[in-house]
Amino acid sequence: MSFVNSISALSPELILLIGACALLLLGIVDTGRVGRICSPAALFILLAALIATLAIGDSKAIEPAPGLRLDSLTYFVRWITLSVGAIIVLVNWSQPAAVERGEYMFLVVCSILGVLLTAEANDLVVLFLAVELVSVPTYVLIALSRVEPKASESAVKYFFLGALAAAILAYGIALTYGASGDTAIYRVAGGATVSALKGALGGTLGVIGLLLIFAGLSFKIAAVPFHAYAADVYEGAAAPITGMLGFIPKFAGFVALIKIFAALQWNIPHSTWWVIWCVAVATMTIGNVLALMQKSIKRLLAYSSITHTGYMLVALLAGPGPESGPLRDGVAAILFYISVYGLMNLGAFAALTWMRTEDRETEELAELPAAARSHPAAALALAVCVFSLSGLPPTAGFLAKFYVIGSAFSVPRESPMHGAMIALAIIAVINSAIGAAYYLRIIAATYLTKPVDTATEKRAKAPTQLQIPGGAVAISLGVCALTMLILFAVPDMLAHQTHLAARFSRSALTSPTGRMTKEDDKVKSDSSASSLKPEAARYLSATHDSHSAAQP
Amino acid sequence: MNNSESLKYLGLLILLGPLLGAILAGALGPRVLRGATHWVSILGVATAFVGAILVFGAVRGFAPGVTGAIAPVYDWLPTGGSSYFRFEFLFDPLTAIMLLTVTGVSLLVVIYSRDYMREHDHPEQGYERFFAFLALFVASMCLLVLGGNFVMLYAGWELVGLCSYLLIGFYYSKPSAAAAAKKAFLVNRIGDFGFGLAILLIYLFFGTVDYSKVFEMARHGVIANGAPFTPELATTISLLLLCGACGKSAQIPLYVWLPDAMEGPTPVSALIHAATMVTAGIYMIARCGVIFVASPTAMTVVAIIGAATALFAATIALVQTDVKRILAYSTISQLGFMVLGLGVYAADSAIFHLFTHAFFKALLFLGAGSVMHAMSGVIDVRHFSGLRKVLPVTYATFLIGALALAGFPMLSGFFSKDVILHHALHVRPFLGFLGIVTAAFTAFYTFRMVFLTFHGPLKLPEGVHAHESGKWMLVPLVVLSVGAIGAGYLGVEALGSPLTRFISPVFESTFGAAAKHMELGEAAEHAGFWGEYGLMIASGAIAIAGILSAYVVYVRQPWIPGLVRASAMGLHRTLWNKYYVDEAYNDAIVEPLRQTGSVCVALDDYLIDGLLWFVTAIPRALGFLLRTMQTGLLHTYAVTMVAGVALIVLWITW
Repeated sequence: MSFVNSISALSPELILLIGACALLLLGIVDTGRVGRICSPAALFILLAALIATLAIGDSKAIEPAPGLRLDSLTYFVRWITLSVGAIIVLVNWSQPAAVERGEYMFLVVCSILGVLLTAEANDLVVLFLAVELVSVPTYVLIALSRVEPKASESAVKYFFLGALAAAILAYGIALTYGASGDTAIYRVAGGATVSALKGALGGTLGVIGLLLIFAGLSFKIAAVPFHAYAADVYEGAAAPITGMLGFIPKFAGFVALIKIFAALQWNIPHSTWWVIWCVAVATMTIGNVLALMQKSIKRLLAYSSITHTGYMLVALLAGPGPESGPLRDGVAAILFYISVYGLMNLGAFAALTWMRTEDRETEELAELPAAARSHPAAALALAVCVFSLSGLPPTAGFLAKFYVIGSAFSVPRESPMHGAMIALAIIAVINSAIGAAYYLRIIAATYLTKPVDTATEKRAKAPTQLQIPGGAVAISLGVCALTMLILFAVPDMLAHQTHLAARFSRSALTSPTGRMTKEDDKVKSDSSASSLKPEAARYLSATHDSHSAAQP
Repeated sequence: MNNSESLKYLGLLILLGPLLGAILAGALGPRVLRGATHWVSILGVATAFVGAILVFGAVRGFAPGVTGAIAPVYDWLPTGGSSYFRFEFLFDPLTAIMLLTVTGVSLLVVIYSRDYMREHDHPEQGYERFFAFLALFVASMCLLVLGGNFVMLYAGWELVGLCSYLLIGFYYSKPSAAAAAKKAFLVNRIGDFGFGLAILLIYLFFGTVDYSKVFEMARHGVIANGAPFTPELATTISLLLLCGACGKSAQIPLYVWLPDAMEGPTPVSALIHAATMVTAGIYMIARCGVIFVASPTAMTVVAIIGAATALFAATIALVQTDVKRILAYSTISQLGFMVLGLGVYAADSAIFHLFTHAFFKALLFLGAGSVMHAMSGVIDVRHFSGLRKVLPVTYATFLIGALALAGFPMLSGFFSKDVILHHALHVRPFLGFLGIVTAAFTAFYTFRMVFLTFHGPLKLPEGVHAHESGKWMLVPLVVLSVGAIGAGYLGVEALGSPLTRFISPVFESTFGAAAKHMELGEAAEHAGFWGEYGLMIASGAIAIAGILSAYVVYVRQPWIPGLVRASAMGLHRTLWNKYYVDEAYNDAIVEPLRQTGSVCVALDDYLIDGLLWFVTAIPRALGFLLRTMQTGLLHTYAVTMVAGVALIVLWITW
């Protein structure tokens, strides 16, 4: 690959990198007027990167640099992240004080860059760096987002726990390297695909390595038992940055998980599969149960975000199904879900941002009736987003759930995991029913409850004098809410893209080298495997607990 | 741009025009447009009307032998494999005629509403809401008619039900209006339940919901797996479909909502009765003809229900005193005629009658609205009379509508009713006879209403200063009366019956083929003068006789009604109370349900709630337990994480 080709293939990342540095410089220069330039500049950078992405298009798999690999997934992650990133900038348009806006936007752009790199990483070490590039800026962003002790507190918490998670992730990578002597995620060497992860799975060490990697990434996606930080952090950060936290790290985490699972061609050791199954059930249920108890909207949404992670884990376990398209393919279903989730979650927080008054944000459910009365448009958009979060038609959230559950049901009957997937799907449905209870509480507070407290009424009527989140937030909110409705009417706009993006997992599956894990010598199952359809064979291979082979 | 492509955009224009009007009226109405909100609705519906005309032109331009075109818009949801649930339009003569009727009448009604919804040129409370719902109503009906599969039909069906609920209950602070809206919605839901089941059965047995595929399979007498499409299955599906049609098109036993629906503003009644709601059931039966004709049993039931409803409603209308209520029963009766027409394999005549009925019924309702407007909301014939002098234009147009409804020769109702009776007498003579009796009653009660309202000495309700309505209301009346006079000539055989010829290809392979198969219709063609015109003359004579007897009874010898009422007290009371059907439903269905309900409430309060409390106690207890772990302390969280990792590793290495 020539240098020029590499540069052009990586142009979105380079634009983000150069742009981020420029933003930092802009911030250093005098703060008086520049504060107003930084947000538009950040938006411009993201849009430029988006244009570059679209210009490059969905190319064939290439490796522009060692450790980086571009494929159909990259293209999808790029344009989704940059588009949602642009909305994130809009929501954060006037969030921090003008003095800090340069650094603030620098950090936002860096975090977004991290997601892009995660999707391109083809080496476990690069993956680690990319995922940390996503997280590290967010620690600072939380502290910057508002001048309140709560914000600093949650930044510190997030930082320490994030460091712990990073350590677990790094440990997992180290163990994988130890077991396989390689760190490549996916590599074609001499006509055969090589993957450090696949190579490592021969022994217990490799399995533990995989599980530690999963655990480290579980922190990013806020899966139980690595979820505990979510509520505190969400509550402490200002609403606009909370909206970002719900999407960016989660997206990076899921992209990383998809890449790792794809490298293993979804031949996950039996025990690991069941660990993830248990994590998925716990994540859905615990997130829901805790959300039921909340009085603060931000905490409620934090716990609900844990639940959404659980739903996406269902699709992750389902994996690439018998047919392409999100209804039958778990990978496409996750991509659809997370894109929709990113927008609806961001929309909800944008609504909270908009409803803020001069002295504080709208945080408690009890404050919502008054705020909704003074901001009818924001209340309507909030209602749309919350409907979508609860998975009710006519919103895209409904389709997202529909696809996830459809992918769980698409696991072939011959697969030994069929029953477990059906059980998982049923648990997901029960959980979304429980979820409706607290989402509808938000709707009820918005539309059905009268403002009780005279003080809150007065607060709602008081003219807003200080920083009113202006048009930018309104635009972002409108985009989020409208997208939820439009996507429901025309789901193929996104569904088709997810189908294209998920091709990479399929091409990995049909690669010439074995889709069967070589394991027990006793089960030289070539004959039995060849009689099965390829999809069934993939599931069949998951039956045999491959780590048992390591303990002869 | 090829044909189906341009049709697709036409369909979208028809659908999105009123929808956009509704959205704009709803979004901008209260703050920006206020008293000018009617403009967006009028423009939206007018767009649809223009689109409907273009569709009509396009459908006329189809190559000979082509009856319809499917215009796929886009794929909505994947339904497994590479197949999608598709959002698509179906264009054929039936769609074209329905669209013209729906949008044309609706446009006039929306224009009319501009003045009707004002008091002394000042918009009523909820003016914007009214126009937003009105446009949404039209959009829903267009969706229902345009849809190319059962799911779109169902979506339009339900949206129409929702809009009718919103509009009947427009004066929601009035308890009777709220109750009427609720009744309309619930009764319709009963029908919809059957309709929904029918669609599920269709999906189950045909494996698709697309009209084209379902009807093609049904035509060849097979279902999805190649098994034969048995008459039993056809009967089941048809009767369930009929259940839906009975709800929407107000047939026995589900007609009870329609008379109460007059609680809404009068333009809404005009819309419901003429264009956007009750025609849905007729359209649906006509559309699903191939399923119905596969089951002779179902066709018999359709015909019987139609004839029975026609007669039943006409007798009730004989004694009612509320003009809108009389008109409501006349609609039920006329819908009965249409259903009878469908049941005797004369679908083209049924649609023809639907077409003419839309004009004169909209005209009559809008005329009644004009009277009501002048009488400050009073609409009971006992409180006024002799209005022809005060409301000359309203009188003239109302008279035309009444003549058309009564089947007076050479007006539209005469021709369309006549062809249905013609077929009915031929296929099911007894039901045809009932139809003729109904026609006599119709002429009588229609003119009873006219004479009581407009003739006799001038009498006004107290404190009312009567005045003719403004031009926004009169222009639609005049346009509609032209339609009420002329629309019938589109189906006159002597003039080549352009309308029926236009539409009959749709039914050729369904109703037409079945009729031919049963060797019906042949005889009609070989009939002589008396066979062809005898009935026409007879029914004209019956109509005139009915009108004359009404004239004698209510104008010349006004003592007769009192005498009749006194001599047949029981009959009169029965009719006055609408055969006590509402009471019977109340005693037989509503009350037992309510009592079951109170038992259920008791069960719910003690048993279920107790259980639920127990069930929800689990998540709550779990939540409480987990919340205690959610201490906000950093080291607790870290310990949780490490413990989690330890647990996982332990599990693996066990």
